[in-house]
Amino acid sequence: MAAPVIETHALGKTFGLAPVLRDTAFRLLPGAAAIVIGGNGTGKSTLLKILSGLVAPSDGYALVFGEDTRRFSPRYRRRIGMVSHQSFLYPSLTARENLEFYADLYGIADASAAADSWLERVGLADFGKERVRTFSRGMEQRLAVARAMIHGPSLLLLDEPFAALDTDGSARIRSLIKSALDEGCSVLATAHQPFEIDDVAFDLYEIVRGQVAPLEEKEEVRRGGRLRSLLRPRSS
Amino acid sequence: MRPFAAILRKDLMLELRSGRTTTALVSLALLVLVVLAFALDRAIAGGSDAAAGAMWVALVFAGMLGATRVMLAEQENGCLRALLLSPVDRATLYAAKLAAAFIFMLGAALAAMILAILFFNLEFSNAFGTLSVALLLGALGFSALATLLAAISARARGGELLLPILIVPLFVPALIAGVKASASALSGAQFAAAGQWFGVLAAFDVLFVAAGYLLFEHVVGEE
Amino acid sequence: MAKPLQNALGGLTLVVMLIALYLVFMWVPTEIDQGIVQRIFYFHVPCAWVAFASFGLVAIAGIFYLWLGGQIWDDLGYAAAEVGMLFCTLVLITGSLWAKPIWGTWWTWDSRLTTTFVLWLMYGGYLMLRAMADDSPQIARYGAVIGIVAALDVPVVIISVRLWRTIHPAVLVTRQGGHGLEDMRMVVTLLVSLAAFTLLFAWLLMLRFSELRMRSRLNAAAREIAIARLRVGAA
Repeated sequence: MAAPVIETHALGKTFGLAPVLRDTAFRLLPGAAAIVIGGNGTGKSTLLKILSGLVAPSDGYALVFGEDTRRFSPRYRRRIGMVSHQSFLYPSLTARENLEFYADLYGIADASAAADSWLERVGLADFGKERVRTFSRGMEQRLAVARAMIHGPSLLLLDEPFAALDTDGSARIRSLIKSALDEGCSVLATAHQPFEIDDVAFDLYEIVRGQVAPLEEKEEVRRGGRLRSLLRPRSS
Repeated sequence: MRPFAAILRKDLMLELRSGRTTTALVSLALLVLVVLAFALDRAIAGGSDAAAGAMWVALVFAGMLGATRVMLAEQENGCLRALLLSPVDRATLYAAKLAAAFIFMLGAALAAMILAILFFNLEFSNAFGTLSVALLLGALGFSALATLLAAISARARGGELLLPILIVPLFVPALIAGVKASASALSGAQFAAAGQWFGVLAAFDVLFVAAGYLLFEHVVGEE
Repeated sequence: MAKPLQNALGGLTLVVMLIALYLVFMWVPTEIDQGIVQRIFYFHVPCAWVAFASFGLVAIAGIFYLWLGGQIWDDLGYAAAEVGMLFCTLVLITGSLWAKPIWGTWWTWDSRLTTTFVLWLMYGGYLMLRAMADDSPQIARYGAVIGIVAALDVPVVIISVRLWRTIHPAVLVTRQGGHGLEDMRMVVTLLVSLAAFTLLFAWLLMLRFSELRMRSRLNAAAREIAIARLRVGAA
């Protein structure tokens, strides 16, 4: 079995006197897709921030690509792409300029070509010269995903990727996630509710009292009666 | 090298689009000098010492505004986080932010110099070279200091008050040296006469650019 | 900090301070030029020494905090800043009290007093940061950075202020500080006073430091309790 992309050991985070995460043992295998569910303030964003190296854990540690996130070297940061609540986009710059900047930042060989190709992929080719300030939420989110993926990461961290998106916007993001998975990327997303993407099997987790635990089947049935579709897991 | 250029270019592009920071800096420099011109009325006849002082007062206050904005520009939409997530190392990030702050301060310095000479009725002559060097060195030291501390004041409660309180005592040596060197230049003395002051300015700059390089990673992270 | 050690230090401080007071007020001869007022010197100089040394301690604690982690270093730095600020304020006050009878003004811009004033402002900035912001590791890091940067700046301040005052000699004659003590008894008195104030500083530092340590330990315990409550599912 391949080495896990993400592995946490007794991971915990306390802000001041408020614990948010505790004793978390979580794994994500290469090429796998997982969703972590939780309400507001349950620590979903904190988990992603720790895994991406932005925030240091209070207890325990996390290994991403086998490396401790506290000592995150540039080599590993290069392999991660993150989509957050915040768009990470500069409103006064155009879509193209934003993408070119990030491509440059990550040292992509031909930044303009990469920017153009990704604008194409996310369906924003006609809006390349528009300032991000003028974008709708759906367009912004698509551009944010392009920004996160332009440097070819092996791990995508998505914080509530469908928040405030309409059906059309969600559909586009879904297909972007699917194509990332098809290219061998591993995906970890957080959300309020489990979501589905055709032909993709997600491992579902939930944050219960600060711990990341596999989502209980009966828990979900109790909540709404909707059955989770049983698809064979991607990695055995 | 490439990330450094990318970040600096992005900051300059942003400024070119909005022009807000430069406008703010130049306006503040102008306003400070106007206030001083009226407040130090009799000094106008006397000239060079008052003018040198006024120039540096304008520079310091404009600088505090400018430096904060360089860091604050990254707060919108969480772009600072995106920079921290990227492979860019913190020292390079510091260098890029320092360069941007320095360029903005040069604008303020130029405005302050021209306006001070105008308001205080001074001769331009060959003092220009020495004066420019003094302002340049001062702007560099101030930018180094302010870029490091602006990150701090952005996070703490009551940050806008905190930044001046932190910067001013730390900037004192450069302020003393800068004003003395400028006054010397404006009164027509040669470069060498102000030699020791330039020594102090240079030492200050080296010290704080190095300190910034080494310590920036500690102020720019998150919880 | 162990209570007995703290008390022993306190006791020693008291003894040496009493000796110093006796020497300053009873034993040492009156200086010819300045008269009785000159005795302030024996308080003023030791306070200055302590204020600057304490600042160095803040910086060193800061370096260790950034390098090793450990809340204990932050507590040490914060305690040193608070106690150092106290002594720095005393330097300025005694300096002012000295200046008035001798030179007729409450404040002089002589090089040493000016440098101390700048130091006082730096302390103030550090303390204001700690006071205004909450008690998080992030703020502790900021404090450490400021402490280090300020300590690096102090030599440059000293040099620049000295040059400043040399080129434009002050209206008032520069105070002699520690040189030209003709009488051996003056030297002895100064050294004893120095020892007394250093001990006083160490004792106050220890007091404040143990208070901060206790608070940090309480916070750590509170965190553990909060985590345990979360585990159990309490509200």
